[in-house]
Amino acid sequence: MLQFITKRTATLLAAVAVSSFAVFLIPYVTPGDPVRKIIRSRVAGDAVDESAVRGLAESLGLNDPLAAQYLRWLGDFFTGDMGLSFVSRTPVAEQVLPALTVTLSLVAMSLALAAAVALPLGIISGLRPGSMADKAITAVTQAFIAMPEYWVAPVLVLVFALKLSVLPTAGWNDLSSAVLPALTLALRPISFFTSAVRAGIIDAAGADHVAAARARGLSHAQSILRHVIPNGLVPLSTLFAVWFAGLLGGSVIVEVIFAVPGMGRLLFDSVINSDIPLAQGGVVVVVALAVGVTTLADFVHRFLSPTVGDSLA
Amino acid sequence: MRSFLRPRVLVAALATLTLAGCGFSGNQAQPAQSTAAADTSQRIVVDNFRAPVANWAVESDAAYILSLSGCLETLTKYDQAEGKVVPFLATEWKQSSPLDWDFSIRQDVSFQDGTALTAESVVAALNHVLDAKVPARAFNRTMISSVTALDATTVRVSTPAENPLVPYRLASVNTGILAPAAYKDAEVNPFGHCTGPFTPVSEKAKQSLTLDRNENYWGGDVQLAGAEIRFITNGATRAAQVQTGEADISLSIPVASLAALKSAPGVTVLGADSPRTATLYMNNGRAPLDNVDVRKAIRDSLDLDALAASVYEGAALPATGPFAPSEPWAGEGQEKHKQDLDEARKLLASAGYTADRPLEIIAIVERAEFADVAAVIQENLKNIGIPLSIQAKEYASAEPDVMAGNYDMLLSQRNRLIDIADPIGFLTADYTCKGTYNLSHFCDGEYDRIIAEAATTIDANERYKLYAEAGRILKDKAVNAWLVNEQATDAVRTNVLSYVQDPLSRYVLTANTAKSAS
Repeated sequence: MLQFITKRTATLLAAVAVSSFAVFLIPYVTPGDPVRKIIRSRVAGDAVDESAVRGLAESLGLNDPLAAQYLRWLGDFFTGDMGLSFVSRTPVAEQVLPALTVTLSLVAMSLALAAAVALPLGIISGLRPGSMADKAITAVTQAFIAMPEYWVAPVLVLVFALKLSVLPTAGWNDLSSAVLPALTLALRPISFFTSAVRAGIIDAAGADHVAAARARGLSHAQSILRHVIPNGLVPLSTLFAVWFAGLLGGSVIVEVIFAVPGMGRLLFDSVINSDIPLAQGGVVVVVALAVGVTTLADFVHRFLSPTVGDSLA
Repeated sequence: MRSFLRPRVLVAALATLTLAGCGFSGNQAQPAQSTAAADTSQRIVVDNFRAPVANWAVESDAAYILSLSGCLETLTKYDQAEGKVVPFLATEWKQSSPLDWDFSIRQDVSFQDGTALTAESVVAALNHVLDAKVPARAFNRTMISSVTALDATTVRVSTPAENPLVPYRLASVNTGILAPAAYKDAEVNPFGHCTGPFTPVSEKAKQSLTLDRNENYWGGDVQLAGAEIRFITNGATRAAQVQTGEADISLSIPVASLAALKSAPGVTVLGADSPRTATLYMNNGRAPLDNVDVRKAIRDSLDLDALAASVYEGAALPATGPFAPSEPWAGEGQEKHKQDLDEARKLLASAGYTADRPLEIIAIVERAEFADVAAVIQENLKNIGIPLSIQAKEYASAEPDVMAGNYDMLLSQRNRLIDIADPIGFLTADYTCKGTYNLSHFCDGEYDRIIAEAATTIDANERYKLYAEAGRILKDKAVNAWLVNEQATDAVRTNVLSYVQDPLSRYVLTANTAKSAS
């Protein structure tokens, strides 16, 4: 266990270092001058005053060698200081934490919704593979994969906000305003979760220990409840963690369409505006959370399925 | 024409097709003034297209939000209908010497924190803007040397050179005046520190700003109890919110949503000329576009009517030149250029043009419609034997080559009034020989002389005549091909009263803005 924790901590540190350095380099390896991008994010317009460019570059330390700039940020970060946003000149933490709270809420709701839908559908499919119900469920849920969020979101707005007038079109005010963005984000996880549960159920139903249990006199229903379903759900924990990590920073389209002030928008805007400290702070938090959640998922997986314990160690 | 247009962004297309039963009711007009009575207990919701990014720094574009929301006020104000600068927090002004302008500060004004507006507080506010690390376009040390209080009620603004446009600069939202308590070090806190009809009381970061009525407003009774300004960057979402009634006013409606809104009950769509003209920039400094006949041939080959009708779906009008016809400096005889392929071919022949290499047009990707515009131009130029290749690039990626003169043509659009309500900055930066943003690499002594004269001409009408003359030179020399004048489009619920559209979205909520009960 100690070896496992050590390995994961090392992974976390490496991931933070690599991701923060990669984000740091983005403004320098993409076309355009980072300082001009910062200025244009504050005062729209193409023509930029050269003296302002020089002054801002100097005051932000952007004339220093890249290595010096990165090491300065890294040093501050490990003392708990995420720095000031280049654009707003406010502490990065004050922007990242509220956005993270919003996104965590949105992602949790989306995945809870996805699990609530996928579990019964996957179990029904897995217990009757090849049946009409299985085919219908598979067809419908697989179709969700082909529905991009920028298409689903306006359709949901059309139906629930414009036609039925039961939900708001956008915003992040109360539970009702979270329904459409959560539903939009949940569709693809529903598809993957259903597929994973179905496969897990089919595998578990054919396992030797289930056959043995039935041979010992356990009824069909009891064998499903005690052995098939619990074992069939094991793969879901890992999949759940992967989606959780992915949606933390990957919900930008939904956040823009529904005007949700989350991490996706924050990271997108910060990269577009060359706001390096904000982008670095945001990415580091997302990466750390992603590594943490997947580590937790591995523990859960181990708890549910002791046979993987050796591989974890 | 549509057959070769690329599909638009799917969100926008879907919104057009689905947000309402399709159809054009054609109710685009200036405000339909309801006869219903104002209900002073009503609050209003405005969907704005930008969110504050610079922590309410007045020198940044955040000032637009504070101004449109009826919080931030300036010494002068640009009256769109009159086409001139009028008093606001200053009651009058005069040029006391070639380098000095004196402004008399209004005496009956208090900030929302109860302190009085004085010459000293104005000086402090304006100097804060001058000292900003990223200075405002309209008001910075390059054109303003100092701001001082002459006495308790008079502020002197001095310039390094004679500058007749100082009153215009003080109409810029970036010169908005906040109470001294609003400025702590480099930070600005507008809450309770404005002079306007609405007091900001709370903010949801990246989401909205809530304001209450200023009961002690110097400009009279405020007709609304309060307001919420929402920051909705997605145009289709803004359109949907005004359609459902979640928003009362939605600014900057995208073309793709117009059809749905025009047929929606309870919504009025308002349009006005914006100071933006989509332009085909041509590199006057590089062959073959250094030949005026080649440039004229390209201009004559373009079918602007078709362009406006197809790509812009009627939400933009064919351009007549570098200015919109409604602008006071546009001059007489503003007629759109008609496509004339025969004349274009003759001009090419007289220029000795040979299609040695395909010309390249850069369509910046930040404007999604430019890909379609480029395709239309490609087809138009093909008709006169000019092969054209299209490069889609981010503006930041294209800028170094464009500024260095290593390009043929660029599709872009500039806001002529982005700094002040006068095009002097645009005409100087974009077209003078030493212009800092001369994308066309155009240089003409007569043009420079006219602009230099305009820069020191105090009388607005005389100055506008000079601008018109300069515009004629640009047209005669076909420096660029001006394609379409974009329209500023807002959507307003029909129970909103006394709403006057501002194409630059500086003034949206005023003391007179009202709502009826239904």
